[in-house]
Amino acid sequence: MSFIELKNVCKQYPNTDKKAVTDFNLKIDEKEFIAFVGPSGCGKSTTLRMIAGFEAITSGELYIDGKKMNEIAPRDRGISMVFQNYALYPHMTVEKNIGYGLKNMKVPADEIKKKVDWAIDILGLSEYRYRKPKNLSGGQRQRVALGRAIVKNQKVFLMDEPLSNLDAKLRVSMRNEISKLHRSLGSTTIYVTHDQVEAMTMADRIVIMKDGIVQQIGKPMELYEHPVNKFVAGFIGSPQMNFFEVTVDGKQITFSDGNRIQITAEMAEKLNDHSHKMILGIRGEDIKFDSQNLDVFKENRQQAIIDNTEIMGNENNLYFEFGGTTTVARVSKYEVCNIGDKVEFVFVPHKMHFFDSETEQAIVL
Amino acid sequence: MLTKKQKRINWILVAVMIVLSLFFLFPVIWMLANSFKTDAAITNDMNSMAAFIPPALNGSFFDNYITILTNTNFIRYMVNTLFYAAVLIVLGIIVNGLAGYALAKINFPFKERWLMIIMLLMIVPMETIITIHFLFIAKLGLLNTIIGYVLPMIVNPFNIFLFRQVFVSLPDDVYEAAQLDYCNPIKYFFTMVLPMSKSVVATVSVFTFLNVWNDYLWPSLVFTSSDLLTAQIGLNAITSNENTTMGQTLAVITLVTIPVIIIYALFSKQIVEGVVSTGSKEG
Amino acid sequence: MKKKSESILGMAFFGPALILLTLFLFLPMVLTLIFSFTDFFALNPSLTHFVGLDNYSQVLKDEDFRQAFSNTVKFVLIIVPLQGLGALGLALLINKVTYCKTYFKVAFFIPVVMSLAVVSTLWVQIYSPEGILNSLLANIGIEAQPFINSATQALPSIAFMSAWQGVGYQMIIFLGGLQAINPALYEAAEMDHASGWQKFKDITLPELKPLCIFVFITITIGAFRMLVQPMVMTGGGPSHSTYTMVYDIYETGTVNWEIGLASTMAIVFAFFVMILTVIQTILTRDKEGKKHVNKKAKTN
Repeated sequence: MSFIELKNVCKQYPNTDKKAVTDFNLKIDEKEFIAFVGPSGCGKSTTLRMIAGFEAITSGELYIDGKKMNEIAPRDRGISMVFQNYALYPHMTVEKNIGYGLKNMKVPADEIKKKVDWAIDILGLSEYRYRKPKNLSGGQRQRVALGRAIVKNQKVFLMDEPLSNLDAKLRVSMRNEISKLHRSLGSTTIYVTHDQVEAMTMADRIVIMKDGIVQQIGKPMELYEHPVNKFVAGFIGSPQMNFFEVTVDGKQITFSDGNRIQITAEMAEKLNDHSHKMILGIRGEDIKFDSQNLDVFKENRQQAIIDNTEIMGNENNLYFEFGGTTTVARVSKYEVCNIGDKVEFVFVPHKMHFFDSETEQAIVL
Repeated sequence: MLTKKQKRINWILVAVMIVLSLFFLFPVIWMLANSFKTDAAITNDMNSMAAFIPPALNGSFFDNYITILTNTNFIRYMVNTLFYAAVLIVLGIIVNGLAGYALAKINFPFKERWLMIIMLLMIVPMETIITIHFLFIAKLGLLNTIIGYVLPMIVNPFNIFLFRQVFVSLPDDVYEAAQLDYCNPIKYFFTMVLPMSKSVVATVSVFTFLNVWNDYLWPSLVFTSSDLLTAQIGLNAITSNENTTMGQTLAVITLVTIPVIIIYALFSKQIVEGVVSTGSKEG
Repeated sequence: MKKKSESILGMAFFGPALILLTLFLFLPMVLTLIFSFTDFFALNPSLTHFVGLDNYSQVLKDEDFRQAFSNTVKFVLIIVPLQGLGALGLALLINKVTYCKTYFKVAFFIPVVMSLAVVSTLWVQIYSPEGILNSLLANIGIEAQPFINSATQALPSIAFMSAWQGVGYQMIIFLGGLQAINPALYEAAEMDHASGWQKFKDITLPELKPLCIFVFITITIGAFRMLVQPMVMTGGGPSHSTYTMVYDIYETGTVNWEIGLASTMAIVFAFFVMILTVIQTILTRDKEGKKHVNKKAKTN
């Protein structure tokens, strides 16, 4: 039996006709790190808040550790939570903030002290022990919020966009720390974020949502390599996957600007079950410029003129007009191009994704 | 950057204003200077600048004050008023604060309508219903009791509204965090909401204090027993006594003003904010 | 289930206030209205009759009440310009000076700190026939004035004193308003070669207009509610020249126990004050209201 289970969970706010969350089904194992990811308004935070008990579940069932939780008060669900805006108690010191829950649980004072000391120690907050939240930086506040969550020894950790208020650099290091914390504490964690990088780097499994509906659940690489629809394909990965409107005719694929490529008979067979109009997707790193690839796939060579380049240092992004849209390719730092250069490239055939142009669902090849 | 001419105008303006302020304050200066004098000295000084200058510091300098403090019930009146103010501040914060919190953060039936009613009640002048209050308290046999005085003064639509306006902007996630920390709503109100809203609590306390301290009509109706009078009513009792000299009268009104001056000095920020906001906020 | 427990919690929090509001605001208001149509005499409640609008016609014909009302109007005519314009003038001057600003703010605010009872007691001494004011006037060759002992001078004397007591309060409001004016407006006017007077007329006054309305009506409402000054200084006299509506309500209701009649007076009094309050709210809220609507429209 899984540790947390959501069965057909729906959320509908009064006086609205659209559901905020529709038929959410998920089983989470103990000690798993799950990320809910999606654009704002997709229902990920609402789902988390239903698990926490701050939002009532309209229909469906929620089980934690085998017990049905729909009607249980938040504090009796065995959860602790880290909030987006930290939600620290502004008039209490760091130490008091962290120990407050234990105090209310009537834990003996010496034990509270031991636990608070432990949390302060592993979060590196000893210097700030007697400070109030207003005298702390964003990162320090975030640590206090984490400390408050971990001292209570709850089995479930909920995190609602915990890093969204931090600057980019701090975000990366906090990401790391939360991952380490999760590994050492082993508590089941549900982590809500709008940032796919956070989800990809931290989670064991990702739940990707849109408009209140789960799009795909899977390990990070599954989502990256095998997105089930155009939305997932576009949401995961940076720079975004390139999409082209194409017409498939036998083994021949025609782009809207008239360029053509050939596919294998095997692929063509699977694609021909569908309508001729399709969306072709390919990630930037699967557009190749090197001579080896140009050689192997020489019948599909294409040409374009570089419009713009983004030099990152470790790698470069090249922009050019192709297939009726702006296309971005990702190349290593050794493949330098200049704006205005005429280049030749190929799409790696087995890295191409095809989506039905009506339903935007992926066509499995 | 001021030009030389502007600087000169500024100095003239300051000089004129200083003279103006002295004229403006002449009653206060006269009050202070003569509160240390015997009536004979007051009359004697009346026609000269000496009227605005305190007498020489000698053994009888504080006589008027000493007489007031020792021969009258004055200290009793002051203590009474401070006690009433303290009671009303505590009860007012609890009752009006809880109501303001409910109207700000808790969903309960007719919440919006209650808020409308509270806002409408703010425009009813208290003088309209003070006769009925008096009748109630008299019928309940509570005249000349502290309960009779305090009871109608606890609830205050203004303060409910003020609390609501501040509480409504408190973050919800702190309440959620506190729930997960096993904090119940009552405890949350007293240990989180009030400390997080120190400034409105201070404002309401200060204005409640000033209200109690300066109130005249209601205490004069409820209290007739000398033991229970407030400072303002007691002041009237002392000054209307035939044996009270003019100097002693001036000493009493100086003494009555001292606590208020202390309050203004301590809370000038809150008071000025409160005063200014009555003009700019409106709703 | 969650909803229900929240409702209970809300009512528990709102309950104490609601009980007190009912007992000491709703109920008294309803009773005042009901009593105003009866001849309820508190010393003999069993003889109470419904008298329809008799009380109202009696109150409107009543010499004392009419005098009280006309006193209030006279009082308003004196105190509104005196205190309102005085406060505005002081605020403008203090805003202008660069030295001793705090001293001036405190100096003109001191009378506000003193209670009405204190100020009234003090000015009884100052206005007394042999008092300091008459002695000051004698020095500049003006003969002794009766002030509060004369039926013609008592009301203006109290009005002058009240303005003196309250002017600092409105001065602070105006100072707040002046500081809220965007300095860029003056800088722009400077670029447009505006004179000092033009800046005052075209920027300061229009920006302060809502505040002026607010202050003037506040002073008017205060005048309608006046009680302590005549109570302490003149007892409403001489010959009712300082009698006020609240004074009449107080004497009729709590001294003579004629609750019915006092209730009628209270209703008439409340009518005036509430009308003034509503006018004030509408006039000063208008701008804010529009802003609010605009904001709403944008977010939608």
